[in-house]
Amino acid sequence: MLAVDMAGDAVKAKNGSMVAYDGQMSFKKMTGGGEGLRGMVTRRITGESMTVMEVRGQGTCFFADRASEINLVALRGDKLYVEASNLLCTDAALRTGTTFTGMRGAAGGNGLFTTTVEGSGQAAIMSDGPAVVLRVSPQYPLSVDPGAYIAHQGDLRQSFQSGVSFRTFMGEGSGESFQIRFEGDGVVYVQPSERNTIGGDV
Amino acid sequence: MSGPVVLDPMTLPSDDNVNKYTYCVELRGDRWFLQKGRMIAYYGQISFDGVGHGRFENLLRTSFHSPLHVADWVVAQGSGKMLLADRAFDVNSYDLDEGNLTIRSGNLLAFQPSLALKQSIVPGFLTLIGTGKFVAVSNGPVVFMEPPLRVDPQALVGWADCPSPCHHYDFGYMRGILGGVRAMTGIGGASGEEHQFEFVGAGTVLVQSTEVLMPEQPTGAVPGEAGVPGGGYQGGQQGGASGMPRLGGQLGDLQRRFGL
Repeated sequence: MLAVDMAGDAVKAKNGSMVAYDGQMSFKKMTGGGEGLRGMVTRRITGESMTVMEVRGQGTCFFADRASEINLVALRGDKLYVEASNLLCTDAALRTGTTFTGMRGAAGGNGLFTTTVEGSGQAAIMSDGPAVVLRVSPQYPLSVDPGAYIAHQGDLRQSFQSGVSFRTFMGEGSGESFQIRFEGDGVVYVQPSERNTIGGDV
Repeated sequence: MSGPVVLDPMTLPSDDNVNKYTYCVELRGDRWFLQKGRMIAYYGQISFDGVGHGRFENLLRTSFHSPLHVADWVVAQGSGKMLLADRAFDVNSYDLDEGNLTIRSGNLLAFQPSLALKQSIVPGFLTLIGTGKFVAVSNGPVVFMEPPLRVDPQALVGWADCPSPCHHYDFGYMRGILGGVRAMTGIGGASGEEHQFEFVGAGTVLVQSTEVLMPEQPTGAVPGEAGVPGGGYQGGQQGGASGMPRLGGQLGDLQRRFGL
């Protein structure tokens, strides 16, 4: 559960994720995630839909969603890439948008697009079990299972690795045929659980 | 807020838990067996291959002994560190030293090839024999207990170095006509604890702290021979259509209880 102390300021949170509050709060549904008309259209087209509400007021507000773990990420002018379904709450000052991810998203069952969070402030992301934060540096690239990936941050290039061979079709696949390879400088968040993915069984 | 701990290949533990739900294995040119789809991330050069690969024939002979369930296992080899996790369940590693351990098939996550994996004659269980490390998952932390002991069937994870368990039924609940009605219908109150597994002898029993079972992994079929438990061979049994052996009139059908 995430507790947010507010003094007249606002946060953006996933619709319906408030579980309790004390003090004075007002909740407002933000059409299109506060990204304006263009953002709204982009989200509709890309399928990376996200229903967001704006919470404003005085006091403490508690957010939670399906008892999943919540990880706080501090942003200082950099960009966080996260799946819309894993994003719980952000400071109102942070800008959200969508970006193209290519094959990675398709194999992960998350669609071809992902959500970005930019600016300075804090974002709360959700994971099934506490997330493990892994650093990627030029000499240590990292490979991640698409089903366990939740978010990444920093200057990272991602490429898609596939180990599919004729054995995969003979029922002798390794179960780890698809991986996302991260190179560059940044951190990657993985969860100790795998979503059901198309790539998960081959 | 102190911020999350950021891990890199230097700070990741070697062959130890990262947190309760994630385990890190360090490979230095050696191999590990893991269940399909349990790797979540890795650093370094590691390749994953189905165990059925031709070049693992030798490994198969020394570590599996049975070609029947190898399709669910993957060989990881190379050098680097990899993270293992399973549906956010608790993960723990255990060392086996010239020993044997029998574990529920769904709970075994990964093991070193120095251990041999065999099918247990108890259906749904696997036995590890030898010296080495293995990683197991459980629903909640595992408690180690020593026999003599009776364990709820759903809480049992595995047992090491002790004779195989037997069934134990609560005699008072199962006796006579009333007991039979109670056991079959639940009328008159059933505690839900009429049946346990009983362990005797020297060894260790692993018990998980919930009664929610992990999904079973197929362990492979056994040959349908006479005398093989779970082999589906019914010859010479008294039990009739259900195929269940009878317990000396105590658990029989109702008509038996009335002496018909």
